[in-house]
Amino acid sequence: MSWPARHRRCTGAPLRQSGSGWPCPGTAPASGSYSNPVEISVLPRAGQQVSSLPSPALEARGVSKVYVNHAGKATLALHDVDLVVERGTFVSLIGPSGCGKSTLLRVLGVLEKPSSGTVRRASAATGGASSPVSFVFQDYGLFPWLNVVDNVAFGLRMAGVGKRERRERARAWLARMGLLSFESSYPEQLSGGMRQRLSLARAFISDPEVLLMDEPLAALDAQTRMLLQEDLVRLWEESGKTVVLVTHSLDEALLLGDRVVVMSARPGRVTLDMPVSLPRPRSTKTTTEVAFSQMKAELWAALRDEVERSLEQP
Amino acid sequence: MTTVTAKADRLAGDAVEAAVEALRSAERRRRRLDLGLSVATPVALLALWQAAADLHWVDPRVFTPPSDIALAAGRLISSGTLLSDLAATLARLSVGFSIGAAGGIVVGILLGLARPLRAALSPLFTALYAIPQIALLPLLLVIFGVGETAKVLTVVAVTFFVLEINALSAVRHFDPRLLEAGRAYGATGAKMFRHVLLPGSLPAIFTGLRVAIALGLVVVTATEFVASNNGLGFLVWNSWQLFEPDQMYVGMATIALLGVALTGVIVALERLAVPWARRRSS
Repeated sequence: MSWPARHRRCTGAPLRQSGSGWPCPGTAPASGSYSNPVEISVLPRAGQQVSSLPSPALEARGVSKVYVNHAGKATLALHDVDLVVERGTFVSLIGPSGCGKSTLLRVLGVLEKPSSGTVRRASAATGGASSPVSFVFQDYGLFPWLNVVDNVAFGLRMAGVGKRERRERARAWLARMGLLSFESSYPEQLSGGMRQRLSLARAFISDPEVLLMDEPLAALDAQTRMLLQEDLVRLWEESGKTVVLVTHSLDEALLLGDRVVVMSARPGRVTLDMPVSLPRPRSTKTTTEVAFSQMKAELWAALRDEVERSLEQP
Repeated sequence: MTTVTAKADRLAGDAVEAAVEALRSAERRRRRLDLGLSVATPVALLALWQAAADLHWVDPRVFTPPSDIALAAGRLISSGTLLSDLAATLARLSVGFSIGAAGGIVVGILLGLARPLRAALSPLFTALYAIPQIALLPLLLVIFGVGETAKVLTVVAVTFFVLEINALSAVRHFDPRLLEAGRAYGATGAKMFRHVLLPGSLPAIFTGLRVAIALGLVVVTATEFVASNNGLGFLVWNSWQLFEPDQMYVGMATIALLGVALTGVIVALERLAVPWARRRSS
């Protein structure tokens, strides 16, 4: 993969990641001595202080994506998108329907190739079964032919983890999500909320570097949704994973995110990158704070025109 | 106070238990009724048939009464004819069905996965499928002579096309969200096939197997009418030529029972292999 020289930088020694995709001659000392300190200014600051040395988990540069439908009509879904996601942060991605949020997420997760531009994932020198990326889908994406425990363990199975170990680990996660008594049920027999919990367990179990969530709670009713938002806040605060969450809900974006990134109507590009300075741990109560309401108003002001513009698109 | 609540709980528990038991026994009654009706209908029809033949409402030489058919069945069983005919038909059908099904599944999935292969073969197979497979029999008889090969190959042909079409369609219409989930969780190449495509296609494949076994039985019977000197088809045809309708009825009933039994075997295999689909439908 080509990488423009001006973006090239070293990761510091205290961070697990060095080498692999990141050319790093020699090991930098903990204080972080860069081969060229000026280059760091290229990287946007993180919304929250993660470590003394921010190291992006995901980095998209100049990403565009063109779709061509069956009739041969081309649609520009993404146009020149830059997005940097710092390690261990939670980024909410919000924008009008059809603006390319999901496309961007899939490009970040390498489920789709960008038409132009580069996507960079800081791949750790991971040994064993730790997978770099896990997905959570809106429609769950659970396998109907596998029971609950085998659905959770699917990623581990693909990674070659033995039957006993993966079942044990899966059961531990099911217990954590309150699903242990359903371990031999099939997904069809579960409610929507249970299925999405299952899908979260499947995403977290392989201990990924990055979690990409595509409107995971959109198909749920409002009350179940609030419960699962709390689950997600808790899981994330305990795990410290890097998360990119695509959502339509302003509340959800603010409640969960360290940053909220607003995208424009199609072709999607980043129009606002707002740090969320609400203290953690957060819960549903956070949504009643004044600061929350102010941020929500600010976010809506930025989003409103874009949503209106998207309504004029076919 | 606590005893009062406990008592109330127990009373509520008793009420729930009684309600559950009432629902269960109602369901049991309905099931007994279903079973009774499903047996009573054919028994009543047989009785009507017997009466009609005995009272000469119909010509008993053509519509042999069930009692005479039972006697003929007894004769054919004790002479060993029925069993050897059944064995011959079953052998042709099972060999042809196994080869055709295995080939059809593999080719169908390959066509579903490889676009150039699909472009090359799919229109050809569709055209060939439109020819009734039984029409191939004369050609096969010319090529292979009046032996087992031609008859088995006719069964292979019908089974192959049914499964090729079902497997191809299963792969082509596979839920893209599940493929994406598989890819997102590390299933690539052979793993994707083994852990995602194959289990996800099994329901469509079993539908194909059920259709194909019924068609296979039709085809094997037809080949035995014209190109065989044993088998259940031969039994029926030969009885017609000798004008022994009682034996003809025995042959037809045996073919019907064989069809029911083979479909039952496939349904049982399906329950084992696709437990999740059964739960979905129930």
